[in-house]
Amino acid sequence: MRAEILTLALIVGACTWAFRFFPTKADLSGIKPDGILARFLASTGPAAIATLFVASVLPMVQGGVPVPLVLGTLAVVLAYGALRSVVVATLAGSVAYGLAVWLL
Amino acid sequence: MSVAAPKSSFTAGLVTALPIALGYFPIAFSFGVAATRAGLSGLEAFGLSLIIYAGAAQFLALALITGGAPVLVSAFTLVAMNIRHVLYGPALIKRVGPDARTRHAWAWAFGLTDEVFGAALGALARGRVAFSEAFMFGLGLAAYGSWLAGTALGAYAGGAALQGYPVVDAALGFMLPALFLALLLSILSRLQLPVIAVAMAATVAVTLAWSGTAGILAGMIAGAVSGLLIRRGDAG
Repeated sequence: MRAEILTLALIVGACTWAFRFFPTKADLSGIKPDGILARFLASTGPAAIATLFVASVLPMVQGGVPVPLVLGTLAVVLAYGALRSVVVATLAGSVAYGLAVWLL
Repeated sequence: MSVAAPKSSFTAGLVTALPIALGYFPIAFSFGVAATRAGLSGLEAFGLSLIIYAGAAQFLALALITGGAPVLVSAFTLVAMNIRHVLYGPALIKRVGPDARTRHAWAWAFGLTDEVFGAALGALARGRVAFSEAFMFGLGLAAYGSWLAGTALGAYAGGAALQGYPVVDAALGFMLPALFLALLLSILSRLQLPVIAVAMAATVAVTLAWSGTAGILAGMIAGAVSGLLIRRGDAG
């Protein structure tokens, strides 16, 4: 393993671990249920996942929205709506996307 | 009719992680293939997954390494990209409440990825599981094991593995967006719709105006800040 790649991995890995671990030790006992910080933290999850979805899709929509993306997204929504399963929805979206690429 | 108590065991964590493990494997396989295609050895590809364990950052790392970016510049970019993880621990602990134990968090928090956080939050919100450190270990280990196995197999298959299968390549490429969307649907509530809309709009705007990494940070912060305007009675 090249030294520069190992160095990069160790720096990023250590910082990522620190980002994930140290905030779990934050004292949250003084937070009011409907207070500013409580509302901020409750919104963090939906905001983060919505952001990551958009960030992962954006490179695919340059120059217009491709049909496979529309069909893949629809498949995820329909599969989740029908079965309430994250895994089935993920796999359905991926299969629909691949099929659309193949057929179009 | 009795109501089953929510499970909080290591096994419950493994079961909850099943969607992530199934989703991670092909994505990690794609990463292993992409890494060897970019000129990394199998050991280097596996090392990135073993040490960094952050999918989006690892794919970006490939672009930075092959682009010849200096190590410190690459490290700064990737660390900035992963800053979002500071929000996950407190959000999870806040959701659990005063019963949240974090004695061994130094170990299980290593596995607190976007998807593990989303799955934990979704499972807790649906009342299917109760938080425990054993549950978090099970959740994290299954996801991490799948990520490592997928990377190893992808690196072993090599950079040319998917060149003859463009449809499979395309389907695997959509796995990550599909996983994020499914996770989003699993925690969706009417109350949080404005947060999601703001996060998405900010991500698009800042990505187009500046960069993808800035867009991710902007989307998360703007969405979370917009949550300050929401009160419990607002959604009716």
